[in-house]
Amino acid sequence: MTITRSAAPARRPSGRRPTASRRPSGRRLAPYAFVLPFVVLFLAFGVYPLIYTFRLSFTSWSGSGPAQWVGWDNYTYLLGSDAFWSSLADSAVLWLLIVPAQVVIALIAAVLLNNAKLRMRGFYRTVALVPFVTPLVAMAQIWIVVFDADYGAVNRLLGAAGLPQLDWLTSTTWAKPTLALLFLWKTTGFAIVILLSGLQSIPASVYEAAELDGASRTRQLVSITVPLVRRVVLFLVVMQTLAVFQMFAEPYVVTGGGPYGSTTTAGLYLYEHLGRSDLGTGSANSFLLVALVMLISLLFVRLLRERD
Amino acid sequence: MKRTQLRRRAVAAAAGLTAVVLAACGPDVSSGPESGGTGTGPSEGTLAAPDTDAPSGEITIWDRSGDLFEVFDGVIERFNERYPDIVVHHEAVDIDTKLPTTLVAGADVPDGVFLDDAKVAGLSDHFYDLSAVLEPYLGDIAAQKAEVNTVDGRIYGVPWDLNPGLLYYRADILDEAGIDPASIETYDDLFAAAEQLKAARPDAAPIHLEKEPFLGQLWLEMFASQLGTSLADEDGELRLDSPEYLQILTWLDEVNKAGLGTRAEYLGPADLATLESGQQVFVPWAIWWDFAPQQLLPQTTGQWRAMPLPAWTDGGARSGAMGGSSFVIPRDGQNPELAWLFYEFLVFDPEGFQAVYGPNAIYPDGLNTSVPSYAPAADPATPLFGPLAALGGQDLWPVAIEAGEQIPGGTPIPSWWAGAVDYLGDNLQRMFDGELTPEQVIAESTEQIQTNLVDRAS
Repeated sequence: MTITRSAAPARRPSGRRPTASRRPSGRRLAPYAFVLPFVVLFLAFGVYPLIYTFRLSFTSWSGSGPAQWVGWDNYTYLLGSDAFWSSLADSAVLWLLIVPAQVVIALIAAVLLNNAKLRMRGFYRTVALVPFVTPLVAMAQIWIVVFDADYGAVNRLLGAAGLPQLDWLTSTTWAKPTLALLFLWKTTGFAIVILLSGLQSIPASVYEAAELDGASRTRQLVSITVPLVRRVVLFLVVMQTLAVFQMFAEPYVVTGGGPYGSTTTAGLYLYEHLGRSDLGTGSANSFLLVALVMLISLLFVRLLRERD
Repeated sequence: MKRTQLRRRAVAAAAGLTAVVLAACGPDVSSGPESGGTGTGPSEGTLAAPDTDAPSGEITIWDRSGDLFEVFDGVIERFNERYPDIVVHHEAVDIDTKLPTTLVAGADVPDGVFLDDAKVAGLSDHFYDLSAVLEPYLGDIAAQKAEVNTVDGRIYGVPWDLNPGLLYYRADILDEAGIDPASIETYDDLFAAAEQLKAARPDAAPIHLEKEPFLGQLWLEMFASQLGTSLADEDGELRLDSPEYLQILTWLDEVNKAGLGTRAEYLGPADLATLESGQQVFVPWAIWWDFAPQQLLPQTTGQWRAMPLPAWTDGGARSGAMGGSSFVIPRDGQNPELAWLFYEFLVFDPEGFQAVYGPNAIYPDGLNTSVPSYAPAADPATPLFGPLAALGGQDLWPVAIEAGEQIPGGTPIPSWWAGAVDYLGDNLQRMFDGELTPEQVIAESTEQIQTNLVDRAS
């Protein structure tokens, strides 16, 4: 297979570009005027809260009256707190339960949905996306009902099949997997869409050439599809890692962080400081979380570069 | 220096300057030993009653959605007959979720809020000190209610309802077993009665054991309140490591280990099923449990009765407080003085408290899930609500009022109370799971609460 490139870049139009100093002042300022609204919004809703929160992380403040400067106290408290590390561990376990499974499921689903021979492809794509666009709180309420230990449909089915019934949401063993299942159900549609976009960027000629060379479907998946969507997969992994470590609404609605704090994710633990009006510790917690997530993201980016 | 370099430096300088300016736009920071939010005082944060004869303006009042919202909503018309120029915007809100963020943001803050007593102290920095306006009424307010609204000598909530603990029981089952309810005077008597019932019906686990951590801790505090103690003293010092808590936890542990208790979440499906089936016979709970036989237990409604809680010692108090709510007035509200007039009418004005507790559209026989904490409203001889058919026609009013009078004082609620649920509330459940002994519950919870809450609050 050969790839041809155009022999030469398109030629610039003839004539000299006017230098900045020669351009009329209105035209010189135009680009700045265009980006100004973004800059203002970015400063107001991005930079300002960030700096405000960073400053707050060195104080003890309940949200009213003057704050008290406490230096590194909030950070040292959190780094020595079992609850803080436990919340990170809970998020890490959820990550393990969610992200690898989601990548595999979404990749298989995306390959199937990318098959031009599949009938009603549009319908299936829509169905796959429905959970993603359904309000999370509504889905979480359904989860509570379906997985109720005494009256939930899942235990009823298990009972009918003669299998043991489980405390899905009220035991430390099963609460995290049940929550992971909700997250998978909710967000796998998003993962499929991302991977579909990656699959559609692979030229059909690559598969045609592989078929001519006698490659099986499985061989094509392993040797062509997976390597060529690797960047998209990595993007997905980074996005879902961020989402899992910020996960809040799912445990807040379904388990309240219990039982015994076993589903208190990093995001929920962060919120608990706000609920106690402990804004200084909450701010420090958020910065530690930002640092951790940045570290993980950089790790993935480094991995990608090394593979390239 | 090249022009591009100059430009880059100018951009960097502008960014730095912006950062410095933005950083200055936070709360005032002090390096002193005082914690933030202590700016209350006579000049700042103490509410005074309005000094006009014809107050006017608009107030926004937040209440929880549900029956009480409807009850309070029905009183606004009466309030407006007294104060025609005050417009009340009454809103049903998920207070636990929305209030903390609203108070911190300081925008669209309501003028008055209905709040759990357990949460008043934790948010008190944001509320008006009501000591001055409450002063004429303090002598008639139940001591326990005034204490739970008091932080550092200042009162931050208008005390509303009193929630005495009672022992609800299945009269038909006790009658069948030949147990006289009046003979249950102590918790040892209750244990013995439960054993007798279990001997007659092996699948019975007669005493309710609360499974939900928050309510479990609230329930534990009811027992502690009977003994005149609570998680912290008036100075905020933790006092969980005490003979009183050990006595309570040991009794609960013994009930559980003897198979005499049903662990269930308050009025959850499993709870309701075992209440209806007769597996549960005794429910030591606040007065507001009477909602269950009135609304949720159709098969056994009319079979339930209420009596004072057993005492921990012979002659000890027969009740303790469990839960309760008050009205707080945020400092960032627009018309706090008018909000005070609204609450003054609701709580202390005979026309107001009769409208709230007496027969109304929501409770045709009167609001019977709590009793007033204001003595003139809580007259044993002048019931505000009538007998309950769900309790077999029992007149709950005198039972609850007399129980309320027995609640000992000296049981303030610390600002970190709700946060303690992650430790004490969870550890209580671990004890029921068999993971911890009562001594371990006390030791571990004390260490965790001291480290993560008390030390952080000071």
